[in-house]
Amino acid sequence: MLDILVTERLCKTYGKGETRVDALKEASFTVAKGEFVSIVGPSGSGKSTLLNLLGALDVPTSGKVLLDGRDIYAMNENELSVFRRRNIGFIFQAYNLVPELNVEENIALPLLLDYQKPDKRHIGELLDILGLTERRHHLPNQLSGGQQQRVAIGRALATKPVFILADEPTGNLDSKNSAEVMNLLRLSVAKYRQTLIMITHNSNYATFADRVLGVEDGVVTELGGDR
Amino acid sequence: MIGHYLGLASRYLAAHRKKTRLTITSVAIAVALVTGIFSMLEVFLQFSKTQIIHDRGNYHIAIIQPSEQEINMLASRKDVNNAGRWLDFGQVKANEINGAASAIDPSFAKNMNITLVEGRYPTGDNEIMIEQWAADKLYLNTKLNGTVNIAFSDKIVRNFTVSGICKDFGNMKASGNPGIFMSMAAADKLKKSLLTSELYVIEFKNRVNIAAAEKNIAETLGIDKGRIGRNNRLLAAIGQSKGGAATQLYVTGGILFCIVLIAGVMMIYNAFNISVMERIRQFGLLRCIGASPAQIRKLVRREGLAITVRAIPIGVLAGMLLTLGCSAILKYYNAGLFADIPLFTFSVIGIATGVAVGFLTVFSAVLLPARKAARVAPVRAVTGSNDLKISARRKRGWLTKLFKAEIAMGIGNVAAKKKTLILMVCSIAVSIVMFMGFQVFVDFLHSSLKTTKPYTPDISLVAKQGDLDGALYDKLQQLDGMKKVYGRMYGDVAASFDASKLSEAYKKEMGGVDVTADGRFVPPEKSWLISYDQAQLDWAKEELLEGELSEEQLNAQNGIIAVALHYRGRRADTTSLKLGDKVTIETRAGLKEMTVLGIVRSLPFNNKEKTLTSFITTEKLFRELTGKRAYQVIDIQLKKSGQEQAVNEIKAMLDSGTTFHDYRQRNAELDQTFFTMAVFIYGFVGVIGLISVLNIINTMNTSIAAKTKYLGVMRAVGMSGAQLSRMVLAEAAAYSLTGGIVGCLLGTALQKTLIESQLSRFQIIWEIPYLQIGLILLLVLAAAAVSVIAPLKRVKKQGIAEVIGSL
Repeated sequence: MLDILVTERLCKTYGKGETRVDALKEASFTVAKGEFVSIVGPSGSGKSTLLNLLGALDVPTSGKVLLDGRDIYAMNENELSVFRRRNIGFIFQAYNLVPELNVEENIALPLLLDYQKPDKRHIGELLDILGLTERRHHLPNQLSGGQQQRVAIGRALATKPVFILADEPTGNLDSKNSAEVMNLLRLSVAKYRQTLIMITHNSNYATFADRVLGVEDGVVTELGGDR
Repeated sequence: MIGHYLGLASRYLAAHRKKTRLTITSVAIAVALVTGIFSMLEVFLQFSKTQIIHDRGNYHIAIIQPSEQEINMLASRKDVNNAGRWLDFGQVKANEINGAASAIDPSFAKNMNITLVEGRYPTGDNEIMIEQWAADKLYLNTKLNGTVNIAFSDKIVRNFTVSGICKDFGNMKASGNPGIFMSMAAADKLKKSLLTSELYVIEFKNRVNIAAAEKNIAETLGIDKGRIGRNNRLLAAIGQSKGGAATQLYVTGGILFCIVLIAGVMMIYNAFNISVMERIRQFGLLRCIGASPAQIRKLVRREGLAITVRAIPIGVLAGMLLTLGCSAILKYYNAGLFADIPLFTFSVIGIATGVAVGFLTVFSAVLLPARKAARVAPVRAVTGSNDLKISARRKRGWLTKLFKAEIAMGIGNVAAKKKTLILMVCSIAVSIVMFMGFQVFVDFLHSSLKTTKPYTPDISLVAKQGDLDGALYDKLQQLDGMKKVYGRMYGDVAASFDASKLSEAYKKEMGGVDVTADGRFVPPEKSWLISYDQAQLDWAKEELLEGELSEEQLNAQNGIIAVALHYRGRRADTTSLKLGDKVTIETRAGLKEMTVLGIVRSLPFNNKEKTLTSFITTEKLFRELTGKRAYQVIDIQLKKSGQEQAVNEIKAMLDSGTTFHDYRQRNAELDQTFFTMAVFIYGFVGVIGLISVLNIINTMNTSIAAKTKYLGVMRAVGMSGAQLSRMVLAEAAAYSLTGGIVGCLLGTALQKTLIESQLSRFQIIWEIPYLQIGLILLLVLAAAAVSVIAPLKRVKKQGIAEVIGSL
């Protein structure tokens, strides 16, 4: 299968001297198109650092990340913005919706930022899948946690990106809502043939994945999967 | 549904009404300041134009010694609104007293503020018009249709008939020399050689470019530049003057503009910066979902635009109201003079600059925060907390030792947020510096422009020759309606002191002085010696530069007071006497040594004779030195009521050797001129002060609103309401005091520079403005205290969980 994500000796170091922390040590791995990879590891192990680096939210100390064959750290800020808005969807533990925009607008925001006219049918379809059609005009603070996270998923899917990067998407949710969210994610990945990389604490959800990467003390190890 | 990502801006503003309102307020304040200053400047020019026309006459230029042909050509010019001949015969003897004779074309009389009260304008070749006061028997002793005999400079006496009586001129009345307005026919009958000046005065139409018209006149009529005079003050007030006073006005305007612009930019920048810093996380998020830095920049700028559009009308309106206030005060104070000026001025320039500067300020103020927002790394969305990060090293243990925990925390918060601190300090300091800078000019205006001082007399009695009747002073003291009666003796004495104390300029003017063996000079000129009683010494304290002004001390130590700026045609320093210097004065009983015990800036009156310098001493010492006994001048201040009766009684006491000067009208007019200036200058300072206070309140408000969550956390960990108040108050006080101190330091430095560079030639000395500093700090603290009340109330009302969870 085509390797859509390649990392080469990815390192990230914070601080200097005594306070130096190697958050990530020479991580090298590949992910194939359409794969669902989950990343597990204890708190402070470097999971989030890894995910931030994969999404070009942060800059590595050394090493490379190739997304769809392009070296993301070689791009300038504007190229990166465009690349990010078209190719990567982010889902955060804290949802991070824009509180002033309603459900529909939050979902359409990445499209607006890309100067596209939101396709009503596409948004409608997303709302339908997410079970938010009824709440499309609600503001985030009028929604439950599960609903908010579904909006965030909708926002991540709006531009039909190649990658979805999720940082503990179920971290703030109860088990019922968590299961719903996980199902949704799986469904959409399958439907749009997207590549999903997800951090999770819950080992149950790790099993949803095609592959599991473990991170401990900044070292990434392959924990198995059906690849 | 928003159709464009920029729609987010208005959504944000709509969702955060309170914050938006605060930002709008601060922008509106800045706009109000600009609109206010410029409308006030425009209205001020209108008022001062009216004032100047009243003081100086309504003409723009004057052609000196015009020929008949020139007059005809000028009168037919399209750009001339009104013009007339103005012939001046200078000083004449009218019914045995000094007067000033002139003739003005009847058509131009109104321009020169001549208002007929009785009779008619003189036309026949033996007709004249006089002022109301001059008809009194003390002066011309005549009435309507009466006769006045006038001797011009040729000493030939001619008889004239009074055909009309006009309103008093304050200056003439004060001088005791009546103005006599002759008919043109009478003036033309006299020999040209009797004229002291012959003018053709011209008032141009509105909106005529006067400099161009003047040039055109000079070219087409071949008139020499030296033959064209200008009414410079009027030209400056209507913005048609180059150089001199006008330039100064424009420079002042320019400086004002810059200060206002800086203050406005600072205020708006502050507001936007806070709003951006609060939303670091949100900008990070937007970057995560694909917003480019340029898009974030545009978003913040759009927010600025939306706020400006709403703030500008409010600001413009407020600025116009401020102007309205000033106009109202002036119109109320002087309804007669300013009757023609509308109460409400729609100042296009003020509004236009307000709007333009509003946009410009917001645009420039938003640039930086927008760039800051654009630079927010996307990772801030995930790691993103807006909270403070205080490293262990920067913890301030000593604060906790000094203060209670909550106060230490409040102050610590301030110290930790360096950028906010710098911004707050800057915005408070700018206001204070503006205020203190302006204060210098207000003080200067007050001391130099306001001519009516505590010692200004209503009535002055002056001996024509020699001394006044010795009993007059006592008789006046007995009279009803006298508030104060005080006399002065003066005379010329030969005074000498160390030659090195004479200024170089004076020595040069004298062509060098002879120095004796003991270092003293041989006086080339006499010095002017004046006597003061204790009341007059007390009044002179305002002018005191060094030393003391006490009658007792002066008498005890043979003291005299030196005058720093001596009048010799103009005020200049001829000497540099210091305290303790010895001055020898020639008396009939030989040389007498006096000691300089005080130095005053200048005297309130001038000696027509040129003298070396002036000295003041007590009446006792004066008598000892000169042997004179009686006063030459007695000044009188009248009580408010029954003035006319008192004036009549005084007049009845006088013999023919005394002249009677009625200063009341002139004083009132001078007061008016000062008042017109002062209303606007104080208006500016008032506006600036108000802005400063509002600015402090607004910034505190914003800063507390921005910390709602932090305050919630504090309450969650057990801070009581009172402790919370103390912490916030400590924080507010720390901000405003730091700003206040920095502002006062810079303001004091500015005052020092301004005074030393601009005003030292007026012998104004710089002093640490303790009173101002104290008041400013008090005001700043009060503003800080007021500013935290409302937001604290809001914070306390909210539930803790709600606050923490909401962000």
